[in-house]
Amino acid sequence: MTPPEGIPTAVTPVVPVPHVPLLRLTQIDRRFGAVEALVGANLEVRAHEVVAIVGDNAAGKSTLAKVVAGVLQPDAGLIEIDGEAVQLTSPSAAQQLGVATVFQDLAVADNLDVTANLFLGREQRRRGSLLLDDGEMEVTARRVLRDLGARIPSIRTRLGELSGGQRQAVAIARTLIGKPRIVVLDEPTASLSVGQTAEVLNHIENLRELGLGVIFISHNLNDVRAIADRVEVLRHGRNNGSFSGREATNEDLIAAITGAFRADEHLQAHRRG
Amino acid sequence: MSGGWATGSQTSLREANRAAILESVKRYGGLTQVELVGSTGLSAATVSTIVKELTSSGLVEVRPTSRSGRRAQLVTVARRVGLAIGVQVGTRHLRVSLGDFGGEVIADQTLPLPSEHRLDTTLDRTALLIVDLLERVGATLDELVGIAMALPAPVDTSTGLISVRGVMRGWDDEPVAQVMSKRLGKPVWVDNDANLGDLAEATLGAGRPFADVLYVRASHGIGAGIVLGGRLHRGFAGTAGEIGHVQVDPQGAICRCGSRGCLDTVVGADALLAPLVGSHGALTLRDVMHRAMAGDPGCTRVVADAGEAIGAVLASTAQALNPQVVVVGGELAETGEMLLDPMRRELRRGMLPNLIAPIDVVPAMLGQQAEVMGALATVLENTDVADTVDRTATTREEER
Repeated sequence: MTPPEGIPTAVTPVVPVPHVPLLRLTQIDRRFGAVEALVGANLEVRAHEVVAIVGDNAAGKSTLAKVVAGVLQPDAGLIEIDGEAVQLTSPSAAQQLGVATVFQDLAVADNLDVTANLFLGREQRRRGSLLLDDGEMEVTARRVLRDLGARIPSIRTRLGELSGGQRQAVAIARTLIGKPRIVVLDEPTASLSVGQTAEVLNHIENLRELGLGVIFISHNLNDVRAIADRVEVLRHGRNNGSFSGREATNEDLIAAITGAFRADEHLQAHRRG
Repeated sequence: MSGGWATGSQTSLREANRAAILESVKRYGGLTQVELVGSTGLSAATVSTIVKELTSSGLVEVRPTSRSGRRAQLVTVARRVGLAIGVQVGTRHLRVSLGDFGGEVIADQTLPLPSEHRLDTTLDRTALLIVDLLERVGATLDELVGIAMALPAPVDTSTGLISVRGVMRGWDDEPVAQVMSKRLGKPVWVDNDANLGDLAEATLGAGRPFADVLYVRASHGIGAGIVLGGRLHRGFAGTAGEIGHVQVDPQGAICRCGSRGCLDTVVGADALLAPLVGSHGALTLRDVMHRAMAGDPGCTRVVADAGEAIGAVLASTAQALNPQVVVVGGELAETGEMLLDPMRRELRRGMLPNLIAPIDVVPAMLGQQAEVMGALATVLENTDVADTVDRTATTREEER
């Protein structure tokens, strides 16, 4: 947007816009046989930013998320974290580099309580002992849920007894345990009621306030435009436009998703592909 | 722990436990006794005893419910005769609050909204959130007596229509109250957000000691509410106090309303964020507030300049109305004196110095809840309590 006339634009940069993004994917290719899941896909995420990825079914949204999460390895392309080329060879490698992911199926254990789910596979032990440090884990669990603003009455409730929204909150809170810098959320508001969606959107805003970079994959353009700083459209595995979350209209996004609008880079990628 | 409790005594312990349980119940709207044990960390026996005590003193209510197929006791805050819903439709968020006839907020929920959100989607989500909140406290739609909604646009309260075209795109000519009322089968009142904010601040908040209160709501747009002699002054079709559309720059940008150089084009969210793009990148209004409060000079400057611009416009309004106090609310007011000090200075500079009662500028006391509390108050004001008591009593009798 161009600033209206008469408004002073001379403000000395005090917090300079970071030039190096937290995460940068360049020219990512990934094929499954004849299926081109990603063709020359690009993505940048900065700290303190919510980047939404939207697109039709099979546009490559989830594949991109899996590449960032370290679940899938790209056939070609460059992944940089803090400007340094990295290999995300496995989910744990990605986690070590500060990327935490919540997949659509959440991967929570219904028979365990909230605290156990938060620390699943990363249980804290008492110093010099094999015993679990339950006290410390509960303290951390309470803190993380509070940071997120989650309404979960008891951290000792079994997951099976929580609502869909509360389970999503636990899954998001779990990402905060490893002190991540990038959180990937794959369709976190799918099949939630409006009240639960509201809670999840507030959680995502809180992640942003905590200074994290968030990748938010969704079908719902209202949810996306409500919280995203930037919206990236994928179409047939290629980038088809990047929009400011504040200025994009539903019409712009739908045009890009359905192909009524073709970004230049999309056409180029298509010719190359 | 505050208050005069002797630390460590039996009494202070019981008091603290009571407070913990009440706080938990209020935070979640409704909890079962088992969930209360988890959320407070108290023993099941203590929770049971205290819930009994609180029930007999009329602070909480217990009703049967079920949790994962098992019978349980849902504990909620005791409600006084029927429930009211207050809705604030903001530029970028929706807030729905459920209150009772004691004026107490029992449960609330916010939802971030996209910019230029559509009428149909937003009203649909509002209706669903209302039902969701009622469910959360174990209540039904029958207990709801009415809904009041605050909109960020001038509203003609007699017809419930937005009285100026273009301020809320896509909401013009839509009878919001009728649409909602038809959907939920309850009476619905619609008013301007700053008006409702003023109503709440003047009766419950910072304007309480005064008869004439000017309330300024500085958020994504700027608006003001006017309470004179304890009564809300809306003007003939609701445009009183629309200071956001007073011209401040004859050469300025064209405003959404169609005029040129309105205050909104200088201190509205878009105008505040635009000069920061080059130095700070794309920020949200909330980012600017947070950074300003953390001492970032660029963001501080933007907030202070906004205070000055608003103060200059307020001077003529305040000169015309001579209120005792100006209460400042909305998101921008969270920065406190950073906004208020330049506003106060500019306001006093632009009007007659009243020796007997110099005008003061104070922050709002109800914060982000002012608008919904004003909405709740509107429902209570417009509903005949005695009638509702009778009706509720009769239905309860019939149920038995």
